[in-house]
Amino acid sequence: MKNKTQTLPLLFFLLFQFLFFNHVHSWKKEEFRTCHQTPFCKRARSRTSSTSTPLIATDVTISDGNLIAKLVAKSKQEETQQNTNPLLLSLSVYQNGVVRVTIDEDRSLNPPKSRFHVPDVVVSEFQSTKLWLQRVTQETLDGDDSPSSVVYVSDGFDAVLRHDPFEVFVRDKSNGNTRVVSMNSHGLFDFEQLKVKGEGDDWEESFRSHHDKRPYGPQSISFDVTFHGADFVYGIPEHATSLALKPTKGPGVEESEPYRLFNLDVFEYIHDSPFGLYGSVPFMLSHGKQRGSSGFFWLNAAEMQIDVLGSGWDAENGISKLPKNRVDTLWMSEAGVVDAFFFVGPTPKDVLKQYTSVTGMPAMPQLFSTAYHQCRWNYRDEEDVEHVDSKFDEFDIPYDVLWLDIEHTDGKKYFTWDNVLFPNPEEMQRKIAAKGRHMVTIVDPHIKRDNSFPLHKEATEKGYYVKDSNGNDYDGWCWPGSSSYLDMLSPEIRSWWGDKFSYQNYVGSTPSLYIWNDMNEPSVFNGPEVTMPRDALHIGGVEHREVHNAYGYYFHMATSEGLVKRGDGKDRPFVLSRALFAGTQRYGAIWTGDNTAEWDHLRVSVPMVLTLGLAGVSFSGADVGGFFGNPEPELLVRWYQLGAFYPFFRAHAHHDTKRREPWLFGERNTELIRDAIHVRYALLPYYYTLFREANTTGVPVMRPLWMEFPSEEATFSNDEAFMIGNSLLVQGIYTERAKQTSVYLPGKESWYDFRTGNVYKGGATHKLAVTEESIPVFMRAGTIITRKDRFRRSSTQMTNDPYTLVIALNSSQAAEGELYIDDGSSFNFLQGAYIHRRFIFKDGKLTSLDLAPASSGNARYPVNTVIERIILLGHASGSKNALVEPSNQKVDIELAPFWVQRKNSPAVMTIRKPNVRVTDDWTIKIL
Amino acid sequence: MMKLRMGTGVVVISTALLFLCLPFCSSSVPNDPFFGIAPQDEKYYKSSDVIRCNDGSGKFTRAQLNDDFCDCPDGTDEPGTSACPGGKFYCHNAGHVPTSLFSSRVNDGICDCCDGTDEYDGKVTCPNTCWEAGKVARDKLKKKIATYQDGVKLRKEEIEKAKSALDKDKVELLKLKKEESTLKEIVQQLKEHKEEIEKEEEKERLRKEKEEKEKKEAEEKANEEKSAATGEEAGHTNEAGKHSDAKDYAADETKYEQSDVGDSYDGATDSPSSEGSPLNEVEESVKGAEGEHAAKSETDLRVEEKKSSEEIINTGNDASENTEGLSKEELGQLVASRWTGQKGGKQSGEAEDAKKTEEQEDLTSESNNEEYEGYASETDDDRNRYDGEDETEDDFREDERDDVSSSYKPDADFEGEPDLSGLSCLLMQICYLNLVYKWTCDEMILMSSDVVTTDSPSWLTKIQRTVRKLFKAVNFFETPLNQTDAARVRKEYDELSSKLSKLQSRVSSLTQKLKHDFGPEGEFYSFYDRCFESKQNKYTYKVCPYDQASQEEGYSTTRLGRWDKFEDSYKVMAFSNGDRCWNGPDRSMKVRMRCGLKNEITDVDEPSRCEYVALLSTPALCKEEKLKELQHKLDSLNSQQPEKHDEL
Repeated sequence: MKNKTQTLPLLFFLLFQFLFFNHVHSWKKEEFRTCHQTPFCKRARSRTSSTSTPLIATDVTISDGNLIAKLVAKSKQEETQQNTNPLLLSLSVYQNGVVRVTIDEDRSLNPPKSRFHVPDVVVSEFQSTKLWLQRVTQETLDGDDSPSSVVYVSDGFDAVLRHDPFEVFVRDKSNGNTRVVSMNSHGLFDFEQLKVKGEGDDWEESFRSHHDKRPYGPQSISFDVTFHGADFVYGIPEHATSLALKPTKGPGVEESEPYRLFNLDVFEYIHDSPFGLYGSVPFMLSHGKQRGSSGFFWLNAAEMQIDVLGSGWDAENGISKLPKNRVDTLWMSEAGVVDAFFFVGPTPKDVLKQYTSVTGMPAMPQLFSTAYHQCRWNYRDEEDVEHVDSKFDEFDIPYDVLWLDIEHTDGKKYFTWDNVLFPNPEEMQRKIAAKGRHMVTIVDPHIKRDNSFPLHKEATEKGYYVKDSNGNDYDGWCWPGSSSYLDMLSPEIRSWWGDKFSYQNYVGSTPSLYIWNDMNEPSVFNGPEVTMPRDALHIGGVEHREVHNAYGYYFHMATSEGLVKRGDGKDRPFVLSRALFAGTQRYGAIWTGDNTAEWDHLRVSVPMVLTLGLAGVSFSGADVGGFFGNPEPELLVRWYQLGAFYPFFRAHAHHDTKRREPWLFGERNTELIRDAIHVRYALLPYYYTLFREANTTGVPVMRPLWMEFPSEEATFSNDEAFMIGNSLLVQGIYTERAKQTSVYLPGKESWYDFRTGNVYKGGATHKLAVTEESIPVFMRAGTIITRKDRFRRSSTQMTNDPYTLVIALNSSQAAEGELYIDDGSSFNFLQGAYIHRRFIFKDGKLTSLDLAPASSGNARYPVNTVIERIILLGHASGSKNALVEPSNQKVDIELAPFWVQRKNSPAVMTIRKPNVRVTDDWTIKIL
Repeated sequence: MMKLRMGTGVVVISTALLFLCLPFCSSSVPNDPFFGIAPQDEKYYKSSDVIRCNDGSGKFTRAQLNDDFCDCPDGTDEPGTSACPGGKFYCHNAGHVPTSLFSSRVNDGICDCCDGTDEYDGKVTCPNTCWEAGKVARDKLKKKIATYQDGVKLRKEEIEKAKSALDKDKVELLKLKKEESTLKEIVQQLKEHKEEIEKEEEKERLRKEKEEKEKKEAEEKANEEKSAATGEEAGHTNEAGKHSDAKDYAADETKYEQSDVGDSYDGATDSPSSEGSPLNEVEESVKGAEGEHAAKSETDLRVEEKKSSEEIINTGNDASENTEGLSKEELGQLVASRWTGQKGGKQSGEAEDAKKTEEQEDLTSESNNEEYEGYASETDDDRNRYDGEDETEDDFREDERDDVSSSYKPDADFEGEPDLSGLSCLLMQICYLNLVYKWTCDEMILMSSDVVTTDSPSWLTKIQRTVRKLFKAVNFFETPLNQTDAARVRKEYDELSSKLSKLQSRVSSLTQKLKHDFGPEGEFYSFYDRCFESKQNKYTYKVCPYDQASQEEGYSTTRLGRWDKFEDSYKVMAFSNGDRCWNGPDRSMKVRMRCGLKNEITDVDEPSRCEYVALLSTPALCKEEKLKELQHKLDSLNSQQPEKHDEL
């Protein structure tokens, strides 16, 4: 029976429906500003070289080891008209081919406000690699009337400051002094200087219902950057788009939005769009057959928009002498200063090394975090956690980390537990830890404005929140409702935040618990574009517009440093973050946010993760299965098969989706998913070695093909396949019920099917039959990788398990590979407590060499682990024995399964039980 | 292909092993070459020096058995080590149950077997806990057996009861059908008579009208003669008459509206609402919509509702486009709701409640339609339906029967002596039709006296008699009609046709009931018309087999599913097509049953969003075979336990 008490709520419901109902889920395009709706972008994009004010460099000198100059308007008339002051330019040179150029207003002339330089991104070590410039050479470039200033960069490279017209570039001496990367070659440089607000100035901006006071008025900067000898440009994550960046403007190009760098929480992002997502790294690298790679990085945390200009583009009277075969780009930012870095390359790996010498090397991860992660919004309660954990054991599927999303907290107050659902968090973690597994809880940056919440009280009292434009604590809306946001720009606040992770402060946490930072763009549900207003204020009067893209980075930094403190400096932190900025690689892993369970999203995850890697963020991955929606079992299986190769391998799902733990789709699918996860566990030694390589060189774990095959044009725009290290090529399967696929195998050497051991010719496209069992993976001839073929509940129990070496011989019957081992969790490796071996197969002999430098420290990492099996792919002889030296023991060679755990795995030539220790020097000679 | 190593090869391997492994890895090879093998498989391994892999993929020598190197992908050669990912390790677990582990557990630093044999490489020491664990397990098993023993008895009783009840139902159905047809005839006769009376009355009326008209005309004529003087006045009267007609009409309409909408929205009309506020608008639109729907069939109604909610959505979208109108809080909630599907923040609770309420209303009205279609008068029963929680179902059945019979026993007058002969005749008929479940006809007929005392059909005979008397008494050709007689016929017709519809509804409900699957032995018969409840935090879960499952919170009810079927060989009751989940699937529930002495819900869970799982303990699942199995298990545990324990 209907009655009054039921009718009233019904009406409330309808009212709420009326206001909030939003059934059709989709990307809310209209909620985000287009370039046209963004005044600085609109202005900059429509500027041509004839409408911009030409600048010239004057007063060029050397000071403090830097090249210093003033930039002034070419004609005095314009200068007075524009009422602008000279800008200060400083050019400095660093080891290994890095040039830094800063351009700012002259602070001695008392501008209304000092512009924001992004702190804590450039690593301190970088300063020590500065080359102290002693002298500058004047040189008149071909066709110029005035001289240019030239300084030495490295062997074969000069940096040039052209005075009139103003241009900065790096040139390649060995290649006829051709430009490598240049700035303002098209004369689009524009720097809006701060002014005192005049009477008639109306600087406010509105977007939808939001107002931005813009108290300092226009302050944007834009300029063109050209990559010479380049076929494609890459980088500037994070966008859901192709690896090789498609032109956004230019002749014959359908004009699109520029690539936007503005950290945003984009609900149900689409899979092919230049729109800004959760993170921003303003670093671009180019690649071309002719010249190789170069890079450009603009350290600026304000909103940025970047146009990639199609071939034949001309900024109207642009410098005509520029040869073709270049990629022009236009960089526009709302605020900040010019703090730009030029990287000379010439190989892609060189550029990565150069870039990470500035922003830091990727952190060495916890070994467990390189294994498989099981996540869902939400594992409901302790019983659920225990159940899921036990099911993995029941099905003999290894996993290392179980994750808890926001619902584990008491009312979305982080560092707390829902005492009904998680009454005994420590006991729960101990049970998981007893199997060598770990847990992760979420800690977001929005703090619930609840006076009974001590964290909020303390932050309020200490004045630690970001302020609104009126100077009050900014109050935005996020999961807990009304929330405030800590000002992570302040080192003091970061340190205070870090202390909250101590076992004492974070009640219910244990040493096996690590952290997940979500929503740190920051996501503000009722803010403009679902983020914080640009006129919100940070410490020192810094406007949010100036620091926006780095907010999440500072939060990630604070959390990561907090975990280091928690572990007394002895335990590596593990913190996953959604927002990112240049330098994020130093603090933890990144995932590509809220993707969708669709084939297109599986497909785009590859260029997305590759691009993150190119921007130094090697430890990244996409949600396996897709966050929104329910994947068909086939898609889920394919996603596991591909995701097992992401550097960061985690399954995650929205709370409205059906449960999708690996055993829920029937026996066959369980088997397939188990096999995919097993492959990752088998390859953990290889991955860990690659993570170490990234940690020392900046070269990512997951690489575009052209990084390994820089001269193979066919690979330049391939983002369906990728390399794991230099050895494995992985080709995703991105369509339903695929029966066959084409795979291009680059290089002159052969490739071995990593499932069957069958050999395939390099430098050719192969049409391959596809089975449900795996996606195509190939091992490059001439490489050696290490596997661990025994499976455990988690990576923790694999520590002492023996290795399998897989040797793929090239046409000269040779191969090489490396193995890096340490304790997987502490910082002792920094003191030399690690094992680093190089395996070389040559002349029928396998040799293990020590790669650890003798001077790397006193610490040791003692292991007794042995190699139980050596697989030889492509070996010519039918030899039956091998001789181990120095022990002088004979061992058998036989045909044995390539993968011991797989039924009907093809038999391959195997050295049985050489049982040599990984720590020792030895040789094994095929007899 | 596997390469077979013989003689010298083996020697080479062992020497190599000795030399290379001694300092560090000898401990990962077990001392006993037959380690990790189940007793029943030992023969297989000991029978020859060259052993086949179980999957036929190859062979291995005795020396390769447990040598910590995987030769058979299925793990045949490494039962005692972790070398083969596909292998199994057997722990004897003396004093407890032997178990077979994945090879991945061997020497992984975690104690898995209670006898500790899975960890022998010296990295951890595992205490033998089998005796304690075994005792706990045996005690548990004993308890379980005890439960089963009682449960099996209860189950048998249930089945017996179900058999007889089912038969009664069938008998009753047949009887009711017969009564139905008899009563139908009577009602038909009455109807004919009634119609005849009405015809007469119509004639009578027309005649009277005619008379009156004539009379009026005569009067009018007379009046016309006076009209020259008083024409205006007459016109005025006419107008007044018209006016009052219109008024009546309007009043009627108001009444109509009230009765139509008032039922459901009386409360709403009472609620304070200011003109033009959104609340008011919504209310209005609901009213309007409801009014329209009132006359439509159930399906139409649903379609319409969807449509109208879509309209609301559209307007909602428009509202969201124009976020200007939203407060900061509302905007925050709106954006949050994209991810959560809820209203976010504090308000979410309220809104959810409201939503549920709406769903519940929908549910109530729908289930009313569904359940009581054709026998709406039996609402009393409905109230009783949820009382059958405890074990007093028999009483309940009695009550119900009383209720039912009283509902179509017009008054005590009709209660009389049983008409035994008629019933026996009927029963013979049933036997003939072969409708009787397992029972012999003799038994049936013997039993019939029992049936008769409870459900006497003699009222029908009495009705027949009364009606016959009535027909005799009423003279249909008498004009004008005797008004009392006509009234009697009408009254009799009304009463009996309402009785008939009650009877029909009873027939239909019984037919519906008997269509259900009560399990292979009818063990679930007693679940019919029953509900099982469980309170979990703020929710009360209600599982009504053959009907629906729901979740209640305060006044709001969410349907978790409608009865679907038994699954997993009668171990699971499936309820599907429940209320739609926000951004998710339709709600559904599976009720997993296990043996217990009482029918009770012991756990409710929502492992996946909107997919519920409940546990019901019930004697219906206490099967004898399972009891035997458990007893056997205990026997075998006990038989090996004493001497094994001595070994420890």
